Amino acid sequence: MAMSKEEVEAAIIEKAKKAPKPQLYIKDFYKCAPDMKPRQIKNIANKLVQKGELMFWSSGSTTMYARPDRIKDEEGSEGVN
Amino acid sequence: MAKHDTPMLDELEKGPWPSFVTDLKRQAETHPECWDILGQLELSYEDKITHWKHGGIVGVFGYGGGIVGRYSDVPGRFPGVEHFHTIRVAQPSGMYYSTENLRALMDLWDKYGSGMTNMHGSTGDMILLGTRTENLEPLFWDLTHDLKQDLGGSGSNLRTPSCCLGESRCEWSCYDTQDICYALTMHYQDEIHRPAFPYKFKFKFSGCANDCVAAIARSDFAVIGTWKDDIQIDQAAVKEYVAGNYSVNGGSHKDGDWGPFSLKKEVIDLCPTQCMWMEGEELKIDNSECNRCMHCINVMPRALRPGKEKGATICMGAKAPILDGAQFATMIIPFIEVSKENEYENIIDVIERIWDWWMEVGKNRERVGETMQRVGLPTFLSIMEVEPIPQHIREPRSNPYVFWKEEEVPGGFERDIVAFRKRHAA
Repeated sequence: MAMSKEEVEAAIIEKAKKAPKPQLYIKDFYKCAPDMKPRQIKNIANKLVQKGELMFWSSGSTTMYARPDRIKDEEGSEGVN
Repeated sequence: MAKHDTPMLDELEKGPWPSFVTDLKRQAETHPECWDILGQLELSYEDKITHWKHGGIVGVFGYGGGIVGRYSDVPGRFPGVEHFHTIRVAQPSGMYYSTENLRALMDLWDKYGSGMTNMHGSTGDMILLGTRTENLEPLFWDLTHDLKQDLGGSGSNLRTPSCCLGESRCEWSCYDTQDICYALTMHYQDEIHRPAFPYKFKFKFSGCANDCVAAIARSDFAVIGTWKDDIQIDQAAVKEYVAGNYSVNGGSHKDGDWGPFSLKKEVIDLCPTQCMWMEGEELKIDNSECNRCMHCINVMPRALRPGKEKGATICMGAKAPILDGAQFATMIIPFIEVSKENEYENIIDVIERIWDWWMEVGKNRERVGETMQRVGLPTFLSIMEVEPIPQHIREPRSNPYVFWKEEEVPGGFERDIVAFRKRHAA
């Protein structure tokens, strides 16, 4: 049975909490909902950014996702919640 | 912020050329942080390593692009560049600005940033160089509310689409580049402002094969104007060129001493497919052999014009070197109609077909051109639902580019891959 949007959100958050590295590519979330199209997963991940559950980390050429409490910003503060 | 000794940079002010060092020194009179740019750059020259840290979590709320974080790794010595973030601002289609708009942009940047700009970056947007994190939200508010302009793309987003000036000034434009650029910018707002892909993706729109925005070299998805029918010829104007009564190249080379114009030497002999010849006083073109290089049209614009049945060629996969070397785009769709009547539905269909595939198959940080190269052109064409044609192939007469699949042959066929590989190692 296909996963609900809430189940996918929970799976993405879980992945972002437990992955060895704090920054994840969008492709890293694809396995959270194998039946869903990549564009749908991207939309859910971006909604999670708006909700404050994830945040963007950008190198300038690539953008990754991270949990706010797992990432340290360049200005020195741990977490940005 | 104090001035720094910059003996190596000072060398770059010598000679007859414009110097960014001189520009920075002048800018430092009103924005003292520019002294620290010079100081840090001199240090980089001494150490032979960059002192910029690149990337981070800076941005404006709701956007996942448009701001590129940049920090100094020696902020104690150069506090003016402790934060020095880059802001990308979407340019107007065709880069038309009013002086009022440019002044407003510069005032905004003087207020919140270093005043330094790059007009324009290689993606096409305006680059505002150097501001602090706390200035980002106020700048974004003023930019969007007062100037009614928006940030461009960065990161794994759709990058700011760009186009040539198209039909607004150019008689050769085969479609309205500015309209499609604006329409797709609005259509794909989410993809521009929030990451969507394994890596960056760029659209560029050129009205003709002169390709003034270098779409074929710089974009993952190049829409280049072309025509289906014959080049339009005005034989009377051809005679005027031959007689020397019309300036060649629209007069752009008229100040040099090039001698009298030779149609044979300067047009016919330079045609890459040798598809032109003279019959008496008439210029003839075998249009089936023309590869739309634009040379003859450029040389004799009053005598030759693109055909009447206009559209575009779609080339895909150009990129600068990251994983592999730089590559030009590959022609995938030789002709497609470009019509605002259907809101560019057929172009959008092609774009989304490639995105759906690339988002699934593309590796992290792999441009679509690299994915195409990895899977091979035959596979890519079948994904795009495009029938192979000789023009897809560099040497169609020697490359057996037609591969039959078992289900396409009546009765099918069997093959033993293991036995084949014994004879021909992979």
